[in-house]
Amino acid sequence: MIRALSSAAQKYTFLLRELIERDFKVKYKRSALGMLWSLLYPVMMMAVMALVFQNVFRFTTAGVSYLSYLMTGLTLFNYFSEASNLAMSSVVANSALIRKVYMPKYIFPLSKCLFVGINFLLTLLPLYAVILLTGTGLCWQHLLLPFDWLCLLSFTLGMGLLLSAAAVFLRDLFYIYSIVLTIWTYLTPIMYDLSAIGNRTLIALMKLNPLYQYIAFARTVILYHATPQPRQFLACFLSAALFLLVGAFVFRKRQDQFLYYL
Amino acid sequence: MTSDIMVSSERVSMRFSLGIEKGFSVKQWFVNLGKKEGRARQDFYALRDVSFTIRRGEVVGLVGSNGAGKSTLLKLVAGVMKPSLGSVRCGGRVCPMIELGAGFDLQLTARENIYLNGAIMGYPRAFLRERFDAIVDFSELRDFLDVPVQNFSSGMVARLAFSIATQIEPEILIVDEILSVGDAAFQQKSEEKMLSLIGGGTTVLFVSHSVEQIRKLCSRALWLDHGELRADGKSDEICAQYLAAVGF
Repeated sequence: MIRALSSAAQKYTFLLRELIERDFKVKYKRSALGMLWSLLYPVMMMAVMALVFQNVFRFTTAGVSYLSYLMTGLTLFNYFSEASNLAMSSVVANSALIRKVYMPKYIFPLSKCLFVGINFLLTLLPLYAVILLTGTGLCWQHLLLPFDWLCLLSFTLGMGLLLSAAAVFLRDLFYIYSIVLTIWTYLTPIMYDLSAIGNRTLIALMKLNPLYQYIAFARTVILYHATPQPRQFLACFLSAALFLLVGAFVFRKRQDQFLYYL
Repeated sequence: MTSDIMVSSERVSMRFSLGIEKGFSVKQWFVNLGKKEGRARQDFYALRDVSFTIRRGEVVGLVGSNGAGKSTLLKLVAGVMKPSLGSVRCGGRVCPMIELGAGFDLQLTARENIYLNGAIMGYPRAFLRERFDAIVDFSELRDFLDVPVQNFSSGMVARLAFSIATQIEPEILIVDEILSVGDAAFQQKSEEKMLSLIGGGTTVLFVSHSVEQIRKLCSRALWLDHGELRADGKSDEICAQYLAAVGF
């Protein structure tokens, strides 16, 4: 089993790399501002949202920089929304290939999640620029953040596998999911603080959202310079592992049927 | 399975459900609500109980009319599909020349597509580096290496795809029609290349509508008729039987 996995990994790493490289070339090559867009986009998003929520709705976060608060949430959530979206359409978009050449089909959602993951690393630049410029400052706990990001990646990959398999059988999932994502954006405390909600049951429910856990983990480190609680580590790890396993299981179970529906 | 057997198909059946609705959506579900009659759950057997083995070095032709299951069989051997029943096993690296250029990204340049398409066909990176020049020379597209493929003419795309696909000496070669692409000169060149691949001692599974080609190239032929293996034997005999049945 392990040997089979590692030989498959060796065989398909090159393909994976080529697919990711392809996405990069297509995304950046023929746009004048190139990579700068990836850096500017989150900053502009943040600026607009900060303007609206801070000045119009008077949202504040006690004791910490609102901009850093917002930017942390935005950076993580944007990764999820972009990667899960691209992963969802990846199998259907490559149907011409899947019908003609044999290759492991999970490679499509996987390559999308990794591609957006590399983009995510780029968006850490504006995030850290905001952290430094707002005087939020750094601490050694930042070294714990890669754990958080890996959990986010696994969760997103799990969702991507699940969604890309479902999209084969249900084509308007694309429209449905874009609505779901919008709702999800507002249910995740990106621009507001959970403590602003009075209802205790609602808060408990919102904490079930894995994305809340990843964002809260990052905020504990970035804004409060604290080491996350063991239960935070556990919540991140378990939710990520659970979704990855479920996603992989469903995808594996369904992949042989894709061909009849593509 | 002895190492001499390169492809073995054991009682393979391939069932398609004609009731499947591709691109089903919630919208479609509502539309269907209005219709009274339930959808017929019809099954269609593209292949039924097909068994054969191919030994190393054999060149085997597949004959049969349209819809006999030839392409389905090729796809099963190539691993693109899994059989509904039975099993197909291959004893070596399969090179399916079924659809060329399926993996091209039109926004990328020819140079980039050579690597991308090569990766999709399962070539290792080192191999592609080594053969890069041979691919470019064969395609005669050296002057257009850094041009996005979307600006190519269809003949140029076909030439590039053909050049990438024919770079290896595969253990099992699967060919759906002899491809001759491009202009007259390149057609001749590509046909020669195909013939040399087929005649090069590899194991070949070959589909063609030209019985003449099968007679010329294959030592053995399989005759598929409505998904069933009707005959298996020397290509001359099988081709004669097939032609007689079709009524020539």
